[in-house]
Formats: sequence, structure tokens, C-alpha cells
Amino acid sequence: MTDVSPGAATTVAAPADALLVATELVKSYGPVKAVRGVTFHCNPGEVLALVGENGAGKSTVAKMLAGAVTPTSGSIVVGGEPLASGSVKQSRLSGVRCAFQELALVPDWTVAENLSLPDGAPLRGFSQRKAVTKAKQLLEEFHLPHIDPRAAVGTLSLADRQLVEIARALAGRPRLLILDEASSALTPPGVRWLFARIRELTAQGGSVIYVSHRLGEIAEIADRGTVLRDGQVAGEFVRDGWTDDELISMMAGREAERFFPDPPARASDAVVLSVDDLRSEGLHGVSLELGAGEILGIGGLQGHGQAELLRALFGATPAVAESWTVGGAPVRRTNPVRSVRRGLGYVPEDRKREGLALEMSVGENLLAPWYKAYQLGGRPRLSLEKGWIDGILTALSVRTRGANETSGSLSGGNQQKLVFGRWMNRDRTVILLHDPTRGIDVRAKQELYGAIVELAKQGVGILWFSTEVEELVHVCHRVVVLYQGQVADELVGHRLTADAVVGAAVGATGGLNLATGGAPSAPPGASATTSAHAATSAAAAPSSTTSGGAR
Amino acid sequence: MSTPTLTSAGAAEAAGAPDGPESPELNTGATGRSSFSSVVARVPRAVWPLLAFLVLFGVGGLIRPNLVSIDSLIGTATFAIILAIASFGQTVAVIQAGIDLSVPNTIGFSALAFLTLVGPLGPGGAFVAALLAGALIGFLNGAVIAKLGLTPIVTTIAMNGLLFGVILLAFNFSELTVTPDFVIAITSAKISVLGLTMPAVLPLGLALMVVLQLVLSFTGWGRSLFVVGSAAETARLAGLPVDRIRITGYMLSGLLAAFAGIVIVGYYQQASATMGASYLLASVAAVVVGGASIFGGRGSVVGTVGGALVLGQVSTLVAVLNLGANIQQLIYGVIILLVISLYGRRRA
Amino acid sequence: MSAISPTAAGPRWWNASGVVRLRREGAVAPILAFAVFFIVYVIINPSLLTRFQLQTAANLVVPLALVALAQLVIVLVGGIDISIGAIMSLANVVFAVQLETMPVPVAILLSVGTGLACGLFNGLLVAYGGLPAIAVTLASAFIFGSLAREVLDAPGGGVTTEIYLATSGELLPYVPVSLVWLAVIAVLLWLLLQRTALGRHIYGVGSNMESVRAAGLNAKLTKLLAFGLAGVLTSFGAMMLASSTVTGDPRSGDPYLLSSIAAVALAGAVFTGGRGSIIGTILAACTLGLIGNLLFFAGVNSYWQYVISALIIVAVVGLPVVWRKVAFRVKGIRS
Repeated sequence: MTDVSPGAATTVAAPADALLVATELVKSYGPVKAVRGVTFHCNPGEVLALVGENGAGKSTVAKMLAGAVTPTSGSIVVGGEPLASGSVKQSRLSGVRCAFQELALVPDWTVAENLSLPDGAPLRGFSQRKAVTKAKQLLEEFHLPHIDPRAAVGTLSLADRQLVEIARALAGRPRLLILDEASSALTPPGVRWLFARIRELTAQGGSVIYVSHRLGEIAEIADRGTVLRDGQVAGEFVRDGWTDDELISMMAGREAERFFPDPPARASDAVVLSVDDLRSEGLHGVSLELGAGEILGIGGLQGHGQAELLRALFGATPAVAESWTVGGAPVRRTNPVRSVRRGLGYVPEDRKREGLALEMSVGENLLAPWYKAYQLGGRPRLSLEKGWIDGILTALSVRTRGANETSGSLSGGNQQKLVFGRWMNRDRTVILLHDPTRGIDVRAKQELYGAIVELAKQGVGILWFSTEVEELVHVCHRVVVLYQGQVADELVGHRLTADAVVGAAVGATGGLNLATGGAPSAPPGASATTSAHAATSAAAAPSSTTSGGAR
Repeated sequence: MSTPTLTSAGAAEAAGAPDGPESPELNTGATGRSSFSSVVARVPRAVWPLLAFLVLFGVGGLIRPNLVSIDSLIGTATFAIILAIASFGQTVAVIQAGIDLSVPNTIGFSALAFLTLVGPLGPGGAFVAALLAGALIGFLNGAVIAKLGLTPIVTTIAMNGLLFGVILLAFNFSELTVTPDFVIAITSAKISVLGLTMPAVLPLGLALMVVLQLVLSFTGWGRSLFVVGSAAETARLAGLPVDRIRITGYMLSGLLAAFAGIVIVGYYQQASATMGASYLLASVAAVVVGGASIFGGRGSVVGTVGGALVLGQVSTLVAVLNLGANIQQLIYGVIILLVISLYGRRRA
Repeated sequence: MSAISPTAAGPRWWNASGVVRLRREGAVAPILAFAVFFIVYVIINPSLLTRFQLQTAANLVVPLALVALAQLVIVLVGGIDISIGAIMSLANVVFAVQLETMPVPVAILLSVGTGLACGLFNGLLVAYGGLPAIAVTLASAFIFGSLAREVLDAPGGGVTTEIYLATSGELLPYVPVSLVWLAVIAVLLWLLLQRTALGRHIYGVGSNMESVRAAGLNAKLTKLLAFGLAGVLTSFGAMMLASSTVTGDPRSGDPYLLSSIAAVALAGAVFTGGRGSIIGTILAACTLGLIGNLLFFAGVNSYWQYVISALIIVAVVGLPVVWRKVAFRVKGIRS
């Protein structure tokens, strides 16, 4: 090591028997450096946590280890031999397997095909029957008998798909298993199942790299950990040698950066959106009311109907309700065109695919909802609306070379600001936000919080789904938690704490039922208990986060 | 394990980052790019085919000096503008991330319908009726694609087949020989512009190009078409009427193909059931060479004219060198490959 | 929602049968459409089931079916082949011209090699060049078509009666040889697609290329091989066509571009890749290929075949979409 980077400065040299040594990993995408010199090692039989906020570079590091991404520079040594980079196959052959965050399962293949096809040569015979038998055996060995090996993966629930992905990574008895946010869709019993498998593997001498930002899970499973921030190593820790506060400030940088604005005082109590018994795909009767100038948070674990709720309210997916009003006017069926006309705005989940036309300019992306066929468009329209566009770009501090720059060349945070900005100062009554702060840097987050609060001050009702519990707890007037497509709890005032949000998110309204146990392989009779999900690890994660928060 | 329990972030920062921007996102400026390539990147795509045409024109001059003449230029440009008119509709379809493979038989259908209807409706009435027929064909394409969700390729192939049947069943070819005067007047008649004699179709095609480019670049409808082509889901979630934009896009595409049919009848003064067949691949070729992205969201009618000029100049050179139509096709293929390997990759 | 909630259903026997696969691959509608069509055909023209007519019909349908299978393989990996007609023309004339001087096996090998080379050319540019299949094959359509006319500029070649009999005659009474060849090729293709890992990879690449790559498989090579395989299948279709017409023709492949895409669409294949069935494609090709015949025997102007084919495609592919929409409206969102 000649040129010492900040992270590496504090890294102790790897022991000679380390299973994995990653040195000075760098990955740049064009001008953006996702990972800027990360060095760490992993010993045999240990669970190494890789923690950091969204966008800190954890996933990129995991993908480099798995061979899915070629490092720009740096070296990876597994068991004394350098890992052939950029080939998942080579990584697998050297005993490194990864369960990916974006599931690497082929939706049109059956479970059995997904489990067996990745191994072996392409010109080898393939028997469905043998594959099914083998898959069945494997799933039973891993206590997952409820998954049908003949079902197409695309038809499984998100949680089941994640279990299959993990089972596939485990199947080869890897020397090094990488779990990249592998618990993101799992329920608490699912997480316990995962930890049991991890302990089995480490007992046999295998190592696990556990990528996560759930501190509760890390406290339970990790022997050691490396903290990443902005693509660099921010520090390291060992089991029981850390507190949530320390880890959080290490992940976030300075304490001051975790500042949340307070929700503004409400000027009127008019209702701008009310819906009773809203039903749609994945929504089983949701009722809620949103007032003018109110920031209403939506909480819950991934896949419990939050995305569906926003899409249904905006008319992006068909939905019906007993009664449904926007700005006092009744709504029957709706679609995005009508919703925009009624004064709704929507910031969708995937900014690159659903939010922006990446080839078009910054200004035209802001104007996209406001194009009428018979009006001017393009540059003449941009100069007509220059005042509004410049106002938005300044208010959100969008870092761009101007309204004519291609939006695809902006960074993620600035792109997100465009998707949000197009609804600002346009007479909106309700704005629906789908996790707008995910994967953007701290500064962009602050600027978005400010803009959200500013909109609320103007009397706009804001419905805000976030995966970050702290945001909801601090910036919202009120939080509604969804569980299995229904409202599990509504939290306001002193009840609005991170613990309560997380408790409700795992379906444990009114106190946590810690008594529920049972392995995932529980017989059918036990289904009644398993559905009453207890919260242990998952609940512990964000709640412990809060204890270190600003409150 | 002998690792220190906690190495604080502050200590790490104190070690000093030599190149520490506030956040990684700020790093996205054009620092890495040379000024030359950034200038090149700013040149509108439509310019490249026009430059390529000029280069080919110069090459022609090197081979046969007498090729560099106004007459030769007008000859090539006339051939190219007819191909371009036939490809304008295709351009509109490709911009919205579709494709219109029913162009050939829309051309044939409108041409034959026009000639058939000149008797009962008069030239003006027949002209309008043929254009309306083209718009109707486009409407059906667009409605099936937008509302039923069939892929554009399959829908327009089916439409092409259906139109072929209709052409064979509905028209009596032996009677369709007389081309009305006013169509000749706007196509093959020689007119004088700025002291140059040229077929009327050339200024007509250029005027159409200007109008279409203005519509595509400077109207809400035109820009919406680009948003839909660039990212359909984005357009939908921004509240744009995506289905309506798609359908009107295909209607314009059909209308332009129908117009091309009438122009072709006027210029060549003959019509047959298969008169459009050669435009199936040639129209897509002109659009692609003109710099449009086959994935949608990118393209211009000026570029399409440039693409048609390149293809036209190639055919002039091939004719001069006496290489035969076969080699011309081969060169077309190589040009398309060159163009797409230059900028045909899917955006990252 | 629970990760571990036991599945209510017991062992699903129907899952083991091929029916589910056919349904998933969209083959049910084209199979039904063919059944209806076939019954109508036999009612209107019972003499289809005579030896001569069966043979004629088979010779008409088999080249289309083979080319449609080639198009299917490319559609399975998420591509489309605009050059398929040109490849067919080229393989057709190579076969016919080589027969003039070379022994039959050499001519066959050269023709298959031509198809393979054309397919690999496209495949290399698409898989390793990262270029869009539609644009690459548009360009190569010009190139291959021009090459075909360089090889032979007018119909001709040395196809002999023996070759006609070997490919398009009768094996046994009521068993046209061409159908036997089609069956052999279809079974081999089925074995390749369903019973080898490569075949499943082809389906996987079309279903989700990124997932296949993340699983450590060579997605690019799979794509390349799919294009090569399609080239070989196209050359089979070209040779069947040259044999049954006893001539090589540099434009013989042109009509097969649109009809092969139409057949694959009618077969219910998904054009983004990953789904499509062999039997559905063959039956769709039979339906489309025989419509003209049927109209002829029904005493209708056979130009109607173009209109009817188009309507059948839109109906068979579009009706399920309409059905789903209507069902959703009727059912409401009660579940």
C-alpha cells in the first residue's frame, strides 16, 4: 500500500490465514466513483458485516466479490489465490457464492430449474424430473418444504423468491457466502431461518459476508464488521464492541447530518384526500384521510401494499373504493391523466424507468406533465416557463448545467429532485411520494425534506411512503402503517415512535408477541401462530436505530 | 480477533482525503472529457447524415468530376426526397419506440384509392379521401398497439397483410392509368426555384420536412411523443395521455405514408399492388441512417432526409460505377451496420 | 405474505404434466385455433384427406413451419430476425446451385453452413456487439439478399426429381415425407430446448438476461448459439422449399419474413422473449399456410387469405388481452 486512503489508514493488515482479502477496491461508473478504495478481510468461519447507508457502496462491493461487477482497480484474494474478476462463474468455482439483492432468478424458470441450471456445461442433458427431485431434496434439507419446485419463480411471493435465492447460494456449500440485503423481504421467522443457515455454514468453517443496514440483525449475527460511507471504509468493529449510536454516526458521518425538520403547523383542517375501503391488487380495504398541509407517512415492511396504495390512489393500477374523494370531489375510477387534472402528483419508485425520460433535457422532464398537445413544447416552451423552471432548480439546488442539459447525465439525487420538482408550485392538492430519499446522498435528502415541508406549508397534502423509519417519525404529522395490504395501525403524537412503527410493520399491534417460535419448517398446523408474526430481529433493527437518533 | 474495536470516522477523515469532494455526486461534471469530444457530443445527430452525404458527394466528384454538378445533385436529391417522404411516417413511429411495417401497403392502398376515387370525387376529394384512409389505417394500428397491447411489429405486419388483401380485392387495376394533373403539378412537373429547374416534389418534400420538424420540436404533442418514446412508463405516471399520443402518432404515420403513395403515383405515373414493397426495409433504413434510435425517443425528420440523401447518393454512385442494384443493396446493409455500431447501442 | 406459511394446495399433479408448460408458453390458443380451422377445412373440403392433397398441403406448410421455428428461437432470446427471408433465399440458392456440380450431401452441408454462418454473423453483432437485433438484421437482410442474387440471379439451379421425391414425396401412402422431416426436426429441437441445459438457458436469456448473467451463466454465448441454431433451421426450410418447387430462387425467401413473424405471433410467443412453444408455432404455421387453400376449395377469392390471416392473428393474440380486461372489470377487485 503506497497511497494510503482514509479508510485503509486504519485497517489492520489481514492475518495470514484470512479466507478473503480485498485490497483497495475501486469501481467507477464514468465520472462517478461508487467505490473509492475499500480494503478489508474475512477470516474462515466468521460472519463479517458490511454496513453503511443506502448508496454507500455496499452492494457494489458485494457484486465485485461475487464477480458480477469488474473492479476498476484493486485485488481480491480468496484462499490465497486471486479471484478472477468479472466472472460470476469463476467466483462460483472458487467457492464464492452470492444471494443478490436484485434477485438473480429467472422468472420464467421453475424453482427446480433455477436451482439446478447454473451448474455445469450448457450442452449437458437436462431432465425436469431429476431437477425437481434434486430441488425437493435440497429444499427439504434447508427446511423449506412449502416451496413447490415445479412452480415458476415469477409466481412466487417476493419473500419466497428471496428464500429460493438464498437456498441456491447455499446449495454449493460455499467457502464464502455473500448475502446482499438478503433479509430485505423476509419476515422475522424468515430471518431466524436465515440465521440458522448461517450458523450451520460457519460451524462447518464457511465464512459469510452479511451486507445490511439493519443494526439489530448485525448485532445478532456479525462477528466483525466494516462500515462503508461514500464508497470508503469509515471504520471497523467487532462483536459487542459497539453501540448503535457509534455505528450510526460512523455510517452517517457527522451527527449534525442527521437533522430532520419538524412538520409545519397546519393552517386549516380541510380534508384533501379521503378514501374508504380501497381495494386493489395487494390492497385489502385501506381507509385513510389526508388533510391540507398535512404530511402523512406510510410505513411498513417491503411488499405490504405501500407501493400499491400510492399507485392505486394515483390511478396507475385499477382500484375501487366505497367512497373516495380528492379535494372534496368524489372519485370513481381514475387514471393518471385524470389524477393530474384533479390536482394529484406522484413521485414513483424507480426514477430512471418511471420518473424520467433520461434522453431528454432537465427542463423538458420538469415540464412533462404540463405538455398539452396543442400548446408549444420544446425550447420555446422552456423560455416561456423559464421563471418556473429556474425557481424549481434553485429551490431544490439541483446541480445542473442548465435546463437544456440531458437529465441522464445528472446524479441520482439530482434526478430525484427533478421528479419531485415537476409537481412544485403547480397548484397541487395532494402529492404522493414513493420513498424519494432512497439511495441519494445526505445533502440531497436535506434539500428534499426542506421542499416537502415547504409544500406542506403551502397547504398541499403529502402522502409519503418511506423505508427509513426515522424520516417518518421525525418529519410526518401522522404515520399509517400497512401490514398485508391493510392498515395495521395509525400513529400520532406520543405514540409516533420508531418502535411503534416497526412493531406495527411486523403485524404485532398492541405489544410484541415474542412467544411465537417455531422453525420455518413448522407443520401446517402451526400456521396460525406463524401468521401472528413476532418481531425479534427485524423489529430490533430500526428501533435500536432510533434510540441513537436525535430524540 | 485482534482488530481494534472502533476506528472512528473522525480519525479516518483526519488522515485526509487528497481528492475529497463533498459527495460523490458532485463528481459528475465533464472534467474527464476532452473539449473536442464534448463539442462533438453537442452536434445534433441530424447533422451527421448530412455531413456523410457531403463526403459521399465529394467522393463521387473524385471518381467522376462531372458528378459534382447542380443537375446531379438535384437528381440525387429528388430520388432521396421521395424516399424521405415515404420514411417520414416511419420516423414518427420509430420516435415513439414503435415501427410501422405497414408503410408499403399503405402507400399502395392510398395510391390506388386515390386513382380510383378521382373519377367520382374529383382530384381534390380523392386526395383528401386517400389521406383520410391513411389516417384510418394508422388509427387502427395505434388502437391495437395502445389498447390491446400487441407489439408494433406484429400489429403492423398484420395490417400490411390485410391491406394487401384489400388492395387485391378492391381495385380494378386496368382502369387506373390516368394521373390527375394537379398531382403531376406538385410532383414531377419541372419548376424553377432560385433559377434552378427541379421537379416540384423537391421543394414540396423540403417544405413538409420543415413543417414536421417544427411540429416534432416545438409543440406539446411533438415533445410528448418523444417522452412516450423515451420512457413510456414515465409518460404515463406524469399524467400524459399515452394511449392518445400513441394513436395520434400512428395516425400521422399512416397519413404521411398515404401522402407518400400519392406523391409516388404523381412522380412515376404508375401504380401497382406491390408499388410500396421496396419501401418496407428502405424506410426503416433511411430512419436508422438518419440517426434515430430504434429504441425510441430519438430521431428527426431532418435526419431522415439526411439518411435518404446518403442512400440516394450511394445509389447514384453505384449507377455511375455500373455495379448493379445488387451491390447497392449490399452497400445499404453495410452503411446501416456502420451507423448502428456508431450509435445504435442501448443507452446504459 | 409470510415466508413460511405452508401452501394450501396439496401435490399439484397438473403441474407435472406438459399442459401447464403449454399454457405458460401461450400455446393453448393457437392449438385450439388450429383444431377449429382443421375441422372447418375438412368439412368444406373432405378431399384434403386424399393422398395428393395431403402431400401438396404438407409441401406448402413445411418450409413455413421450419422458418417459423427459426424465428421462434430468436424471439425466445428476446430478438427478432428481419433477415430471415434473406437467409432463406441465400441458403436456397446455395443449395440449388451446388447441386449442379456437387454431390447431394455436400450441397446440404454447404447450405446448412450458409445458414449457420448468417445466423452467427447476426448473433455476434447482437450478443457481443450489444446492438439491437432489429437494426442488425435489417442491415443483414440487405446484405444476405444481395449475396443471394449474386449466387444466382434468376430462378434455376440443379434440383432433381430424386431430391423432390426424397423431401416432398410420400414415404408411405398418406404419409408425406416432408411432414416426416418436419417431425424429426421438431422433435430434435424439442429435445434441445427442453432436455438440455442450453435449451433452458435460451428460455432464460429471453426471460431475464441480467438474472442469467448474475447466476454465472454465459448469456452472450447462449444468445449467439440461438442465432446460429435459427440460421440452421432456416436453411432446412430453404432446402425443403427448393426441393418442393424443384428450383432455386433468389427471392423465394422474401415472403417468409412477414409470415414467419406472423406465425410466431399467432403461436402466442412473447416478443420480449422467454416464452413460446414449438408445437404452437408449427400449428400456427399450418393454420396460416393453409388458409389460402381452404378459401380456394370454399370457392372464395383466395385474396381473402391476407385479410383473414391478419384478422386471425389479431383475434388470437388480442382476445386474451380483452378477456383479461373484461374479467377484471366484471370480477371487480374483490379478492
